[in-house]
Amino acid sequence: MLVIKNITKSFNTLKALDGINLEISKGEFFGLLGPNGAGKSTLMNIIIGYLQSDEGEINFNNQKVAYEDLGVRKYIGYVPQEISLYLELSAMQNLKIFGMLYKLGKKELDERIKSVLDLVQLGDRSEELVKNFSGGMKRRLNLAVSLLHDPELLLCDEPTVGVDPQSRNAIFEMLQKLSAEGKTIIYTTHYMEEAERLCSKLAIIDHGKIIALGKLNELINLLNKKTSFRIEKNPDTVKNLKFLKELGTLIENDFYYELTPSEQYKSNSVIYSKLEDMGINDDYIEVSRASLEDVFLNLTGRSIRD
Amino acid sequence: MNTIIKLVYKDFIRFTKDRPAFLLTFVVPVVLIIIFANIFGDGKPAGKVPVILVNESKSIVAKYLESKIDSSKSLRPVKEWKDNSTGTVKKIDEEKAKELVKEGNYSAAIVMPNDFFTDTSSSLKFKYYYDPKSDVETAIIQGEFQKTIMTQMPRLMPLLFQKQIESSMGNLKASGFKKDISRTIGSYFNVSIDSVMDRFTKVDSASLFKQSKDTSKSENFMGKVIKFENKQLVGAEVTNPGLTRTVGGWAIMFLLFSITGAASSLFEEKSEGSLKRILCMPVNRSQILWSKYIYSLLLGVIQLSVLFFISWAIYKVDIFSNFFNLVIMIVCSSAAAVAFGMFITSIATTNAQASGYSTLLILVMSALGGSWFPITLFPEWMQHISKFTLTYWSVEGFVQVLWRQAPFSGIIPEVAVLVCIAILVNLYSLKRFKQGKVFK
Repeated sequence: MLVIKNITKSFNTLKALDGINLEISKGEFFGLLGPNGAGKSTLMNIIIGYLQSDEGEINFNNQKVAYEDLGVRKYIGYVPQEISLYLELSAMQNLKIFGMLYKLGKKELDERIKSVLDLVQLGDRSEELVKNFSGGMKRRLNLAVSLLHDPELLLCDEPTVGVDPQSRNAIFEMLQKLSAEGKTIIYTTHYMEEAERLCSKLAIIDHGKIIALGKLNELINLLNKKTSFRIEKNPDTVKNLKFLKELGTLIENDFYYELTPSEQYKSNSVIYSKLEDMGINDDYIEVSRASLEDVFLNLTGRSIRD
Repeated sequence: MNTIIKLVYKDFIRFTKDRPAFLLTFVVPVVLIIIFANIFGDGKPAGKVPVILVNESKSIVAKYLESKIDSSKSLRPVKEWKDNSTGTVKKIDEEKAKELVKEGNYSAAIVMPNDFFTDTSSSLKFKYYYDPKSDVETAIIQGEFQKTIMTQMPRLMPLLFQKQIESSMGNLKASGFKKDISRTIGSYFNVSIDSVMDRFTKVDSASLFKQSKDTSKSENFMGKVIKFENKQLVGAEVTNPGLTRTVGGWAIMFLLFSITGAASSLFEEKSEGSLKRILCMPVNRSQILWSKYIYSLLLGVIQLSVLFFISWAIYKVDIFSNFFNLVIMIVCSSAAAVAFGMFITSIATTNAQASGYSTLLILVMSALGGSWFPITLFPEWMQHISKFTLTYWSVEGFVQVLWRQAPFSGIIPEVAVLVCIAILVNLYSLKRFKQGKVFK
């Protein structure tokens, strides 16, 4: 559906994007992860035609997307990072104004407004001024405006910044519903748990380059980190220290031992069985697996970027 | 205390980073003080007020008074006009003087006619044609003219006194009359003849300029020796002269404020993100600029229409006698004001900066352009600068339409300049917008 070929963009001496290549299929929920200043928003802005790339091209549904291509914007919805609404107007007025700019007829617009208000659960608050909305409500309306023209592709630029867990969860459910309906979604975020929950495919971008691309398990496998077992330090475990060391590499911390099993123990159930034999039950064991955050930090480093 | 000092320090640091606040705190008042100082530096206008002076009399008295008006510190006598059709400079006669005043080129004309003072005259006869479009200017001309005449009266009085007696008693036959009468008055009153004449000059001079259809009925002596034929050539029928003359100036100032605010709302939309959202819709940048232009233009037209309508409804300013030309002026002024607003938006990078620049420029343009006081009070160099402001052309246009009831041909220069300002400034702004300042 969307093919990004060798996109390069510089701002003065800063190379924001450096030969980005991506292919996003129809119906995919694609996560774009990266530290601040990595180039995520720049890429989004180029996809929507807000910014012009220095090199490369973007194809949407096999058609080349030009800078300020008004035609393609009918098929793309953009959820900006900021609350991009007229706060002094009501939700309904906002929807009508933005809907008119998508050139929707009155009847179609009315239907779409009802539909998106139902989706974001603001149907009963539509006549209220947006400035009186909570942060979560504003975010939901921000999303609703981007869906007015029923786009095939939805670009979400960190759409849950600054909202409470309930609203965030509601937004996730809305996006998952849209994804289930067949919409293609590109989602940028800093929150790894969001990406893990939502995205079927992920790309990690840093210094303007894609440094990792694949499904969640493929990215985690990149880290090549084995499953480890955290065993609580207590008299029972201390007395079994010798036997624990026989199971693999054991690193002692202040409050627990971290056991990485040897190659011969390919199944976790074998380890559990051995530990149970030592009198160490499940209550003292915590399994530690590699997470997307581990992958992210491993690939992008731990230094602060801002 | 230490904490308070640190907080004060913090506020000063923030202030120094706030350019608009700096402009409004220091630059705007300083610029306005400079303008006011140049106009009213020593308590009276620094510039010489132009006044047409026509001397058609051959008498030595007329020549003498003309020389005194020529050397006035407040009046600039104008005696010639340039005929653009032939390119020649011609002497202004009485009819031309009236025409020039009616057209608004000058506020007043003083005419010393053929019969100003003849061998058979017993009084000085002036004609005074005026257009009181500016109360201040009119007062200056009248005051200065009165002063010039009255300070010269002691010298002229014996002659006029003699002529008055001759007119009522018959021709003076005996020589040495003046000497004998001086001696007689001096011996009876124990004063010199000059001091007697001085007393005549202390007659209320303001009464000289009181408009009177029949000045011959004046009972006082001064009325008999100085005859004025006053005629208001413009605005005599106007219901509310004060407001009619000034409403345009104030309207254009507030128009500039509102239009600049409307045009620079792009910054507001940019900062709240709605501009970017629109730019990500099937809308291009030129459509956004056009929408801002049309919105601002309509807002300006509506604002001016409301202001003039209220002036009519409450204060009876006549807006309907010359309605078509008023509409033209409203549209042209609004178009020029919108161009100014777009220009400010194109050179500023933030809403605060746009607000600072616009406040500075609007106040300066209003002061220089005649919104607050007539530009004829300015020094000559400032009067030239005035013509570079759109305020000047708008104010002049509204005065022509409302005060002078000028036909369309009378507002062609104002309309042409305002349209040119609108086109040229918009083209420049468009160039700046293409560089992407606002849309970045």
